Amino acid sequence: MQFWYVKVDFFILYDKLSVMRILSLALTAAFLMSCSSGKKPDEQAFENSLDSAMMEGSSIDQEVIGSILDQIPSPLEISVLLKESGIKYNADLLNSPDNLPKYNSNYKMALNLGIYGTDLGYTNIYGQNQSGIKYLSSIKSLANQLNIGQFFDIETIGRLATNSKNLDSLLLITTQNFNAINHYLQQQNRSSLSVLLLTGGWLEAMQVTCQVASSNPSHKELREKIGEQKITLEQILLLFSFYESDENMASLLSELKELEAAFSKITITYTYKESSMEVVNGVAVIKDNSTTTIDITEEDVRNIMAKTNSIRNKIIS
Amino acid sequence: MCVTSWQKQILSETKSLANIVLDMKKIYLSVVLVFIASWGSAGLVGQCDADNLSNACIPKLSGGFNFLKSYKIDGEGGTKDKVEYSYVFTKGTQYMINLCADGNGPDGLVVSLYDSQRNKVASSKVNGQFISAIAYPCNATGIYYIQYTFDGSATYCGGSALGFKR
Repeated sequence: MQFWYVKVDFFILYDKLSVMRILSLALTAAFLMSCSSGKKPDEQAFENSLDSAMMEGSSIDQEVIGSILDQIPSPLEISVLLKESGIKYNADLLNSPDNLPKYNSNYKMALNLGIYGTDLGYTNIYGQNQSGIKYLSSIKSLANQLNIGQFFDIETIGRLATNSKNLDSLLLITTQNFNAINHYLQQQNRSSLSVLLLTGGWLEAMQVTCQVASSNPSHKELREKIGEQKITLEQILLLFSFYESDENMASLLSELKELEAAFSKITITYTYKESSMEVVNGVAVIKDNSTTTIDITEEDVRNIMAKTNSIRNKIIS
Repeated sequence: MCVTSWQKQILSETKSLANIVLDMKKIYLSVVLVFIASWGSAGLVGQCDADNLSNACIPKLSGGFNFLKSYKIDGEGGTKDKVEYSYVFTKGTQYMINLCADGNGPDGLVVSLYDSQRNKVASSKVNGQFISAIAYPCNATGIYYIQYTFDGSATYCGGSALGFKR
């Protein structure tokens, strides 16, 4: 009898310990679950940067790259400036959509996707819908090959492009698509493609602006617009510095540094003066009293244009 | 004597069982509380649908402005005091930045614009009033910082869109 009780006692103790152990495990699991579900984006970004460092082969901080990429202005701004300045549409300035078969590597495809993106924006702004559809087709093809084709709803965009009244919707949807691609590439630790895409787009806008400026030497604003690109080029060079271990990226970086040299004589002088504001129809309208002056000569424009064309021609050929 | 011992043992084992039941109840309660707390906190963070709010902000850009970027504003329930983005603004271009939050008005969200030298050039809080959009006709090209802060916000959550026109 005594022995039976000892046995019972043992089982009770054993059961109690088991229950405690199981419940402590459950508590630990619950704690871990609570930790993982409440993970802050910063921590996630840190982990992603580690992942990307492994994927992209160097210690690349995706968050830093993302924030620099976000700064790069849209090429659409330059197309709007050209249109508003009364400059006529010129298809010869653009990369022909028929050049598509020339682009076989991811490097060339990403750069030319950016170039075609700028060309599409330019044709859209000028209401050149038929040309726009051709660019759209080439863009869709490149995007498919880069596994980002899902971001282009070619049917919707094609339908919008057939009617000039849909210009706002067309511009909106194409801008959203390119933004979505850039965010997706960054999330997928493929930021290098995002860098190439934006660089291609920027180079194309530069090339168009330089060509137009050289044909219109009296157009001061266009010349200044070229000079201002010194700021964006600095950001692009910063982005490329993350990928120097890649042969293609290093080669393009070296070319971009030569372009930077062509910008070296240009000075941008910023003068800060406190702004004022007033509320008009529920919008705070700012009066910017600060100024920048951009010193750029025609010779600077010629040098920048020569180097820009040289880089672009290598990319599109 | 033997019966007394037997009774004592029965009593002791009953107490022990009762203790186990009580312990189990306490632990079960703790587990439930931990789960509720963890799901609750995750739920608070998850409640901020900044993606949706930033998309909702795009069509609210005033007429004539071309869409450039949409920005998510997630203050993570108050653990973040600001969310910041940057963009190169160019001289001669007018920019608009608007704010969207759940319900009417910007819910204590404030957007401020700083130049590359961190001088404040614009804010959506004017004389204590929360404005849901700022228009900035840029006169000086450079990198600008678009900073979102929370001033008495209930949700610490919102979206914003950036547009431009010439």
